[in-house]
Amino acid sequence: MPRIFGIDLGTTNSLIAAMENGEPRVIAVGENASALLPSVVAIAPDGAVTVGERAIEMEPHLTVERDGRVSAVGFAGGEYGAVIRSVKRYMGLGGDEIAPEDRARYTFADLSGPVVRFQIGKRAFTPSQISAEILRALKDGAERAIGSGEKVERVVITVPAYFNDGQRQATKDAGRLAGLEVVRLVNEPTAASLAYGLNKMATGNVAVFDFGGGTFDISILSIKEGIFEVLATNGDTHLGGDDIDRAVVDWLLAEMPDTLKLDRHVWNSARMAAEDAKKRLTDVAETDVVVELPGHSIRKHLTRTALEEMAAPFIARTLKRCELAIADAKLKAGDIDAVVLVGGSTRMPVVRRRVAEMFHTEPLCSINPDQVVALGAAVQASVLMGTQGDMLLLDVVPLSLGIETMGGVMERLIHRNTTIPTSVTEGFTTAVDNQTHVDIHVLQGERELAKDCRSLARFKLGPIQAQPAGVPRIEVTFLIDANGILNVNARDERTGREHSVDVKPSYGLTDDEIERMLEEAIDLGEQDLEERLLISARNDADQILGALRKQLGEYGALVPAGEHARMNEVVERLEAARTGTDRELIAKLVEELNEVTTPFAERIMDAAIKLALEKKSVEELS
Amino acid sequence: MIECLSCGRQQEPSLICAECGAPLAAPLDCFAALGLPRKLTIDLDALERRYHELSRKIHPDRFASSKPKVRDASVRATATLTRSYRTLRDPVSRGLYWLETNGEKLAENNKRVPPEVAELVFEVQEQLAEMQLASDPEVAVERATEIAARRVELQFTMDESLAALDRHFAKWDQPAADKKILTTELKTLLSNIAYLRTLIRDVDRALENAKAA
Repeated sequence: MPRIFGIDLGTTNSLIAAMENGEPRVIAVGENASALLPSVVAIAPDGAVTVGERAIEMEPHLTVERDGRVSAVGFAGGEYGAVIRSVKRYMGLGGDEIAPEDRARYTFADLSGPVVRFQIGKRAFTPSQISAEILRALKDGAERAIGSGEKVERVVITVPAYFNDGQRQATKDAGRLAGLEVVRLVNEPTAASLAYGLNKMATGNVAVFDFGGGTFDISILSIKEGIFEVLATNGDTHLGGDDIDRAVVDWLLAEMPDTLKLDRHVWNSARMAAEDAKKRLTDVAETDVVVELPGHSIRKHLTRTALEEMAAPFIARTLKRCELAIADAKLKAGDIDAVVLVGGSTRMPVVRRRVAEMFHTEPLCSINPDQVVALGAAVQASVLMGTQGDMLLLDVVPLSLGIETMGGVMERLIHRNTTIPTSVTEGFTTAVDNQTHVDIHVLQGERELAKDCRSLARFKLGPIQAQPAGVPRIEVTFLIDANGILNVNARDERTGREHSVDVKPSYGLTDDEIERMLEEAIDLGEQDLEERLLISARNDADQILGALRKQLGEYGALVPAGEHARMNEVVERLEAARTGTDRELIAKLVEELNEVTTPFAERIMDAAIKLALEKKSVEELS
Repeated sequence: MIECLSCGRQQEPSLICAECGAPLAAPLDCFAALGLPRKLTIDLDALERRYHELSRKIHPDRFASSKPKVRDASVRATATLTRSYRTLRDPVSRGLYWLETNGEKLAENNKRVPPEVAELVFEVQEQLAEMQLASDPEVAVERATEIAARRVELQFTMDESLAALDRHFAKWDQPAADKKILTTELKTLLSNIAYLRTLIRDVDRALENAKAA
């Protein structure tokens, strides 16, 4: 049976992992053999897509040129092309759910529809389409890294435990758009507990504290003889390390005029500086934060204590969620035997201290918090392949599900923290004579009134045979599958006939829309990949040709005639190939040119060192 | 009789095919789903073990590569199992389910506070109102302290009621049980508990709000 891969589609970074000789391993897909692929997608005005480190370079930011001038570079958004970061925050959101500060950050196509769309160049992209690019990059990268011709086709994708139905559906859609079969969505904290091999612990209660770049989750699990049973989960899908970065940015830019604060280049430069400073302060007690602006630079001193104060309100929010989850699990903090830390934000010493205080135990963090979710996804993939013995995961639905009843009240049908899959059957009838349809509005959330809950879907039952009010009886079954996604079907109790239920999701894409995107993607898919690889090969060619031209100008005297002729010959062939479309030929010639110029490069290095030494001795003498 | 979608064998409804072990999406009552006799007294540890054992056999994660209709049966069978387990595990929902399957239910329109808990309910509600209306913050804090003490008392009464419910369950399982008398008794116990639950929830919310303020 082909392997199932585990994917952590993260807010900040994404990873892919698989089982190898019985152990979960991450696969190096990033540049310089890193397993972390930054979840950053750059889309050029012409639609060309770049994912990962290279996409970060295209983010709008300020850069200091060699002559000291500060200039704005990168895709500034909209018609200039855009770089989308943290797309996970937008998954499953409707246009009306976009916060004002996000509107300053990105250009959105139409904010009235049921799905957010980023306007880039002439096209509009849904978050699922952007996420699909990340998934595709993981797939391509993993296939290349494995190198045996094995294809990545079936996957497990992790989602925050607190993701609602729409966010889960959007994630599944992204998988489909990337040409993957999403065998299962797994909650991130649950996956992390699998990675720790806690099943070796015969019985016990475990808390998983998952504080990532954009989301926070807390899950309480009971482990018994290989059964991982989630007792309760809580979280906030809009709370993460990004929020701490933003707080630092606000502090950095506090004295700047508003126009500058809202400038995408300035803001991003400040965000990068803030994030770097935050990371440094994990190991050192204080640091300088510098943001270079045109004709001006911001330099501020930041101590770990001050950073911790800025982070305090966000950490307090995570701890509040922990309390709620523990209470829902009908436990006390002292009943928790082990705490697992997940997500980059748990590297902050203050977070570790706080968690230890709350649970009265030192948290486990022996597995890299950036990798633990992907590793757990690989373990769950192997459970699905039937190669993990008796191990089984029993997860829960994070939010209650119900329907709108008379007077706009939410009637709860499935309570939060119910183990999934689960189903409930509800009888419906007509309110007036000869009514032929019954409208049903499905909601998700914990509030009493329908208007305060999130609308999941609306559907019409019917057509119902004309009868006096209250006579028809239609049974509707609401089923939440193991992925936490709702399925609805209806049956006429009298005739026993199944009604087709045309569920119209309140947010997200319809099946038809996905099909259409899929058709477009199939047309473009192969071509896209080829094109991207070609562009990358051409870039490599340009780089080496440019460097060589420059070196020949400065150090041309160091090249003997015969060597020069050989170089020229390869250069000419490469220049010719560069204008063609044979990327393998381009790559081969780049390598060849590299080889013939190696002796030249070595001589340049020698000369440069000699020159530096001479200069030094002159300075020493004078 | 139901047919196994995997091997086609006709059989008595259960969650697992007797022939090939595939999951069956059979409509079952909670006791039958877990393979238990219809008795109100349940050993919770044994119930959990049974639930885990069945989950291992029919959970959709065991059928990730099976035919869609088998996968679908597994999802539905597991949904039935999960609901049955949750219904029986909690004594209150078990009692309510028992009433329901005996053609009875707690009268929803009966808003009369059960006399057994009436005094407690009224006193606590009065204190809650006083705390919420208090304009003097000191008085509010005083009331909050009183209510916090009441919370302990409420929990005690709740524990007592749950223990009474447990003792009551044992009566049903006696051979000579008088169903009519027991039904009335069960209704009383359950409505007392329902009132206490609501009250405890209100008290917790009020204390939470007071703490926030």
